[in-house]
Amino acid sequence: MIHMALYKREMKGSAKLLIIFSAIITLYVSVIIYLYDPQLMKTLDSFVEVMPELMAAVGMKANTTNLLGFMASYLYGFILIIFPMLFCILRANALIAKYVEKGSMASLIAVPVKRRTIAFTQMSVLISGILLLIFYSTIIELICAESSFPKTLDITALLILNSGLLCLHLFIGSICFLSSCIFSDTKYSIALGAGIPAFMYVLQMLANVGGNAEKAKYFTFFTLFYPDGIIAGESSAIIGIFILLTSAIILYGLGIIIFERKDLHI
Amino acid sequence: MSVIQIENLVRDYGGGKGIFNVSFHVNQGEAFGFLGPNGAGKTTTIRHLMGFLRPQSGKCTIDGLDCWNERDKVQAKLGYIPGEISFFDDMSGTDFLKFIADYRRIGTQSRKEELLERFELDPKSKIKKMSKGTKQKLGIVAAFMHNPDILILDEPTSGLDPLMQSRFVHFIAEEKEHGKTILMSSHMFEEVERTCDRIGILRKGKMIAVDSAIALHERHTRSYTVTLENEAAAKAFAADFNGIYNGVKATVTTKQSLEEIFMNYYGGE
Repeated sequence: MIHMALYKREMKGSAKLLIIFSAIITLYVSVIIYLYDPQLMKTLDSFVEVMPELMAAVGMKANTTNLLGFMASYLYGFILIIFPMLFCILRANALIAKYVEKGSMASLIAVPVKRRTIAFTQMSVLISGILLLIFYSTIIELICAESSFPKTLDITALLILNSGLLCLHLFIGSICFLSSCIFSDTKYSIALGAGIPAFMYVLQMLANVGGNAEKAKYFTFFTLFYPDGIIAGESSAIIGIFILLTSAIILYGLGIIIFERKDLHI
Repeated sequence: MSVIQIENLVRDYGGGKGIFNVSFHVNQGEAFGFLGPNGAGKTTTIRHLMGFLRPQSGKCTIDGLDCWNERDKVQAKLGYIPGEISFFDDMSGTDFLKFIADYRRIGTQSRKEELLERFELDPKSKIKKMSKGTKQKLGIVAAFMHNPDILILDEPTSGLDPLMQSRFVHFIAEEKEHGKTILMSSHMFEEVERTCDRIGILRKGKMIAVDSAIALHERHTRSYTVTLENEAAAKAFAADFNGIYNGVKATVTTKQSLEEIFMNYYGGE
């Protein structure tokens, strides 16, 4: 199902973004973990006391007791959400819709290769990129945590948490991919592919602030990814992950079918 | 035996745009010219043959295979030059040709070197920086390097200089001698006339005439024979007007321009 010549070309196309985002993630993860200090925790908690809304909006809550809890609240609310999400938006759009808009898709389909194979290959490129980013983040987290605070981190819990993060990004990727398959115009494919995740993220920020705005959490899929719940092993959090994964599979499949059947004016 | 077969093909874009009940066929080893002004529906018809568009009604087949449902099998036989060339701008021409060869899985049976030499193309530079003519040459090499049996060419000489246009016309004639089936669209009557056996004229999405190139040629040319004072004058006259002379008589032939031919068919509108 995967066409290797195309896969290789597109993975090269992902390389620059992957390197940039990995560098940013390396920087943030190492700084945040380095900042972990039971003493400093009190300082940060005092920030949260002074301006709870602002801190909560970016997913930072008080009383983060252990290292993993600290990471969950300072990394999994913003950095590890935003950058893989940007990757999904940019790559998914470039893999299908941009080629259709520019007409270079003609070079790919005027060849005895099934459209299904082309779409499946492009999807694999997107998923490979997401996998690499999350895998790399996990490695960096492990290295930083083990070198600064040996034997403090609950590694199993981190792996489960990152599997959840992976499912979240597979889902975001599937929205972007589907929108890239539907639209032959990048302005629409970006509008939907970037618009939905960005809007949902804003709702999530609102919901985090609490009070009346907390109701917003019922309207955003980010609620399905609940790091504290995953670490605590709550079954509702695990179910959320499965919902994300299942929906992702459905949306990717739908994208491939739509691309296979659509008219291409190229 | 007809290789390319189009029956009552319809794609209505609304507002009178589209193609309506287009039918024609191209026989094995034949070159078919597809003539019409911009917006007549040539490219739309070709997109159906390529399996890019699903027919709203009607049918197109190539070698008996449905162009939409069995497009991957059809593609194995085709060489295609798109009307609007757009390749991967980030690649150099060399990388692009290598990619297409890998992507098509054509292995070592490539005519790439022969074609590069023939069309004097140096593919080393980035596609982004290539001129329109150079991109067109790259499109020609990419379309022919796997030595396909059926050629679908959408205005293949656009952007080429006259020398290259004529080289391309020779190349097509050779391909035809090798038994290739060719469908070529153009808005240039002369180009089609020089290469094709039969010509179809498309107007506002409808096929208004299909005829042999010879018949069209006869219908649209007129000859005049004039007698001049002396042989020298006849010779000069023939040379000036691209004719032939015989003694004091000179015969010249006029060709109607495409506009005039179109006007004939498109009469009064």
